[in-house]
Amino acid sequence: MSDSLQEAGEAVSKPSATNSDVVIEANALTKAFSEEVVALQGASFKINEGDFISLVGPSGCGKSTLLRLVAGLIEKTSGSVKVRENEVTEPRTDIGMMFQKPVLLEWRTAVENVLLPSELTGKITDEDRSRAIQALHLVGLKDFEFHFPRQLSGGMQQRVALARLLQTGADILLLDEPFGALDEFTRERLNIELMNIVDGTATTSLFVTHNIAEAIFLADEVMVMTPRPGKLARIVEVPFERPRSLELQLTPEFNKIESEVRNILGSYV
Amino acid sequence: MTTTSLEPENTVNKRYVKALRSSVKHIVTFALIIGLWEILGQNGQLNKYILPWPSLIWAQLVDLFFISGIIYYHFYTTLAEATIGFFIGITIGISLAVSAAFSPVFRRYIAPYAVIFSVTPGIAVTPMIIAWFGFGWSSKIALAALVCFFPPFVNTLTALTRTDEDGSDLFRSMGASKRDYFWKLQFPNAIPMIVAGLKLALTGALLGTIVAEFVSATAGVGILMQRFAFKLQIDGSFATLLTMSAMGLMLFTIMEILDYRVVFWKRDSRLLSVSRKRAAKWRRDHGNIPM
Repeated sequence: MSDSLQEAGEAVSKPSATNSDVVIEANALTKAFSEEVVALQGASFKINEGDFISLVGPSGCGKSTLLRLVAGLIEKTSGSVKVRENEVTEPRTDIGMMFQKPVLLEWRTAVENVLLPSELTGKITDEDRSRAIQALHLVGLKDFEFHFPRQLSGGMQQRVALARLLQTGADILLLDEPFGALDEFTRERLNIELMNIVDGTATTSLFVTHNIAEAIFLADEVMVMTPRPGKLARIVEVPFERPRSLELQLTPEFNKIESEVRNILGSYV
Repeated sequence: MTTTSLEPENTVNKRYVKALRSSVKHIVTFALIIGLWEILGQNGQLNKYILPWPSLIWAQLVDLFFISGIIYYHFYTTLAEATIGFFIGITIGISLAVSAAFSPVFRRYIAPYAVIFSVTPGIAVTPMIIAWFGFGWSSKIALAALVCFFPPFVNTLTALTRTDEDGSDLFRSMGASKRDYFWKLQFPNAIPMIVAGLKLALTGALLGTIVAEFVSATAGVGILMQRFAFKLQIDGSFATLLTMSAMGLMLFTIMEILDYRVVFWKRDSRLLSVSRKRAAKWRRDHGNIPM
C-alpha cells in the first residue's frame, strides 16, 4: 500500500487542471454479445484517483461486464474505456481483481497463494515474501500462513484472496461481489476491513454488489445500473465523512440516499 | 478450523476395540467359508477337476513359490510386460490428450475416432496384435498399451478442457503467460482426474497382457494358467489365479499410494501433515523473514 500512498502525494502536487487525477474514464461504452444480447449500453463515467465507487443493480444489468471491460478481460463493442488516459486493450498490471469465489489454488498454502502474483511477474524475492506475510497479517490471518484453502472457512479463504490482491501492488481494485457468497456477519466485517485498508490511500476501487445498503456504506459514489439492456442509470454521491461506522446505516441521511437508489432501480428490483 | 485436537485416550482405545472386533468378525467369516469348503472336499463332496479344495490349492501355491519355484519367471514376465505397456499407453494417452486440449482442430478431427476406439473392445484386436507383433514380449506390451491408453486419454482431455472462467480471469488479470496458466493452474487442477485415469489404466494393462498371453506366449502367468487348465490341474489354475490377484493388488496399492501422496489436497487427513511440512520448510529456507 505504501506505493499507492506515494502516488497520492504526487497526484496532489500535480496541477489539477490537467485532469490527471481521473483514473478510469468511459465514454459511450457498449458491449453486445449478439444483436439481441446487449450486456452494457452506452456507459459514460469518470472515476478519480483514490475514490471508492460502488456499482449496484439487479443481476443481468451488466455490472460484471462493465468490470471486465475496465479490466481488459473482454473486448468492447463500441465506445471507449481509458485507464490513466490509455485505451484498455488487455489486462494491466496496475489493475487487480477479486471475485465472488476466492479462486485459490487448493494445492498451495495461504502464503504460497498470496505469492502467486509475484511469481507470475518474475522470481520471488525475500521482499515479496515479507510483503506476502504482512498482507496476510493485515487481513487478519496471522498463524494461518501455512494452512491450505480446504482448512480455512469461506471468509478466511476470501481474506487470502484479498491478501493476494494486495500483493499484486495494483492501485486500481476491481471487486466483483467479493464477499457475496459469505454470511451477512462475515460480509459486514470484511467490508469494514476492506474499507479500512483502502481508506486514505490513493487506491481506486470499483466494487460490484447487489446489496444497496452495502453499496452506499462503502462508497464515495454509487453507480446505479438497470437491466435489459444494461445501462448506467445514474451516479449518486455519498457525502458521508470517513472513517465510517456501521451506525451510519441507521441515520436518516443514509436512508434518504438508500431510498433514492431504490427509486432509480424502481421496477427492476 | 483445524483438527489438531487430540482425542481423550479412552476414545482412542474404544476405537481400537471396535476395529479389532470388526476384523475378528471378518477373520471368523473367512475361516468358516474356507473350513466348510475344505471339509466338503475332504469328504469327497467336490470334484477336484472342477472345484479343488483349499489344501490342494495351497499345496500348488507352495510348489509354485517354494519347491519348483517356476512362478517367479512367469510372474516377472507378466509384471514387466504389463508395466512397460502401461507406461507406453499412458504416455501416448496423456500426450494425445494434451495436444487435443490445445488444438481445437485436433480435437474436432481426431477426437471422434477416439470415441469409436473406446467403444471397440481393445481385447478384440488381440489376434491382429499377435499377427503384427509376433509371439514374444512385444505383442503383450502392445496389447497392454492399447487397452490402457484410453482412460488416461479421456480423463486428461476432460480435465484440461473443463473451463474455469474465474481462474482464467484471475490469471489473465495478473498478466500470466499461457505457459504459467497451464503449469500453475490448468495442469495441477487436472491431476486428480489424471491419476484416476491411471488407476483404471493399470487394471487394463494387466488384463491386456494376460489375454495376449492366453492367445500365444511362452512365458507369463496367463500361459501358466492355461497349461494347468489344459492338463485339468485346476488346483494349479487356482493357485495361478491367486497369484494374479496378488499382482493386481500390488499394482493397485502402488497407485493408491501415489494418489494419496500426489493428490494430497483432496484429503483432509493429509493436509495437516503437508501443511506442517511446508511451514517447516519455509522456516528453514526463509527464517530471516519476520513472521
